[in-house]
Amino acid sequence: MDFRHPFITNPKMAIYYGLFWLVAATANILVLVFGNGIDVLEAVVEVCAFLLSFAVIGTAIWYVIKFSTLEDNNFWRVVFAHTIAASIIIFIWIYFGIVIIKVFHPDPSRWIEKQIANRIFAGYVLYTIYVVFFYAVNYYNGFKEKLRNEGKLKALVKEAELHALKSQINPHFLFNSLNSISSLTMTDPERAQEMVINLSQLMRYSLKHDQNEKVSFKQELENNKLYLHIEKVRFGKKLNPSFEVKEDCLKAEIPNMILQPLYENAIKYGVYEATETVDVFTGCRMTKDGALEITIKNTYDPDVLSKKGEGIGLRNIRDRLQIIYGNPTLLKVEDNKKEFKVTLTIPQK
Amino acid sequence: MPEKLRIIIVEDEELARNLLKSFLKDIDNIEVIAECENGFEGVKMINELEPDLVFLDIQMPKITGFEMLELLDHKPQIIFATAYDQYALKAFEYNAADYLLKPYSKDRLKEAVEKVAERIQKEGKTSDIAEKVSDFPKEEYLDRIVVKDRHKIHIAPVDHVRYIESMDDYVMIYTTEGRYMKQKTMKYFEGALDPKNFIRIHRSYIVKVDEINEIQQYEKESYIVILHDKTKLKVSKTGYKNLKEVLNF
Repeated sequence: MDFRHPFITNPKMAIYYGLFWLVAATANILVLVFGNGIDVLEAVVEVCAFLLSFAVIGTAIWYVIKFSTLEDNNFWRVVFAHTIAASIIIFIWIYFGIVIIKVFHPDPSRWIEKQIANRIFAGYVLYTIYVVFFYAVNYYNGFKEKLRNEGKLKALVKEAELHALKSQINPHFLFNSLNSISSLTMTDPERAQEMVINLSQLMRYSLKHDQNEKVSFKQELENNKLYLHIEKVRFGKKLNPSFEVKEDCLKAEIPNMILQPLYENAIKYGVYEATETVDVFTGCRMTKDGALEITIKNTYDPDVLSKKGEGIGLRNIRDRLQIIYGNPTLLKVEDNKKEFKVTLTIPQK
Repeated sequence: MPEKLRIIIVEDEELARNLLKSFLKDIDNIEVIAECENGFEGVKMINELEPDLVFLDIQMPKITGFEMLELLDHKPQIIFATAYDQYALKAFEYNAADYLLKPYSKDRLKEAVEKVAERIQKEGKTSDIAEKVSDFPKEEYLDRIVVKDRHKIHIAPVDHVRYIESMDDYVMIYTTEGRYMKQKTMKYFEGALDPKNFIRIHRSYIVKVDEINEIQQYEKESYIVILHDKTKLKVSKTGYKNLKEVLNF
C-alpha cells in the first residue's frame, strides 16, 4: 500500500489546502475583530494558536486513517483507534495553543477559563472533518489506481488474447513437409532444395510478425502461395490451387497470418480426405465502402463426414477480427455440401 | 536362409512411399509386395496377399489407419508411420510392432523391421492387433462406423445408426441405409457411442433415442420399445432404468 501523504504526492492539493486555511484564518480574524470587537493582535494570536496550528497538526491524521482503513479493520476497532489518536492530537494541539496564548495573550488565564472547553470540542469536530476528508481522498486515490490498473490489465488481456489467437504453422505440416524433403533429397535434390527454401521463408514470415501488425495483402498472399506450393509437393495433383487477384487489392492492408488457417482447413477437410482433385480458389475485390473482400473456396468429397460445428481455426479468425476491428461479422462461411466458401471482409481505414 | 518378410505399404503420399521404399531397398530379406494409396485398397490387398508386415499411415483419405485395421481378416504385424505423435500410446496399446515418427532415419526404420522379424520368430506370423483394436474404448465418441458389406466398404455416420443388436460374436448394425455385421462387442459400442443419444435397453440391444416412438408395458414389470417403423425391441430391467434416466420420466 502507498502510505505517502497526498500533499506530497500531489503538491497541487497541498497548495489548495494552504490557501483554504489562509482564507479561513483571514475570515476568522475579520469576524473576531469586526463582529466580536476583539483587538486585532488578540484575534491574530488566537487564530494562529488554534486554527492554523490545527491546519499543520491535522495533516498527520492521514497516517491514522492509513493505518486503520475501513476495508481491513472492523468498525469498532477503527472508532477506537480514532478516539485514541484524536485525544493525543487534540492534547498536543491544546497544549501548543495554551503555550502561545500564555506568551502572547494580554489576559491568558481568563481566556483559558472561558474558551478551553469550546476549543476541545472544536478539536474533536475538526478531527472528524479531517477523517472524513482523508478517507474520501484515500478512496478517490484507490479508485483512480484501480482504473489505471484496469486499463493496464485490459491492454494485457487484449495482447494475450491476440497472441493466443495467432495462427501458428501446424507442427504436423512441418513434419510431413520435412518427410517429403527427406524423400526428395534422394530422388530430386533440386526440388528438395527449393522446398527447404520455401519452407524457411514461410516459417520466417509466420514467426516474424507480431499479432497487431498488418501487412499488405500482396505479402500475405505470397506467403500463403508458398504454403500451398509446399502442400502441392506433398499432395501432387490432388491439390489444385487457383487465384483471381485484381491489381488494386494488393496494396490493401490485412492482419498477418490470417489467411493461413483458411488454406489449412481447405487442405485438411478437402485434400486430406479426397482421392480426386480438390480445387482451392482464391478471389478478391475492393468493395464500394473501400474494404478488401477475399473469397476462398474449396471443393470437397460430400461423402466424407465433416466434423460438426465450427472449427477452432475459424473461431480464432472471427475472434481476432473482433478484437482488431470490433466486428465479428467480417467472416462469412457458406457450405453447400459440395463446396466450402469463406468470405473475409477487411476494413481499410 | 529364413523366408523373406513380405511387406505392404499403406500410405497416401507418394513422396512418403518413395522414401520408405528406397530405405527398405537396403534392408536384406524383405520384399515389398504391394503399395496402397488409401485404406480401401489396403483392406483389399492385405486380405488378398496376406503380408507379414504392413507399414501404415494413420491420417488417410476415406478411412483412417485405425479404421482400416478393424476391417482386416488377415492380421499382419503393423508398423505405424505418421507425423502425429498423439496416436503413439494408442498404437502400442493395440500391440503395434513399432511407431515411426516422420521424418524418420534409415537406421530407425531398420531397427523397426528387425524388431518385427524377431517378433515373428518368437510369436509366429499373425498378430492380434486387429482384435485389440476392436475392444479398445476410444477417447472420443465415435462419429462414424466403418463396416464391410460383402466386398464393399461402407462408412456409416453415427447419425444414421438406428439400433444395434448383438449376435453371438458379432453385432448387427441397423442404419437408415441397411444393416451391417461387424465383429465388435456390445460393450464396445456402449462405451463408444454418446450415451445421450444411444441407450442400452437390453443385453442384446442398443437403441438410438430419436428412433424410439413408444415404450409399452408388455407384461407385469416387463416393457418393450416400439420404434418409429414399428420395430419392437425387448427392454430389460436395467434397460428400463437406463431409459428412465436418459429420458427423464
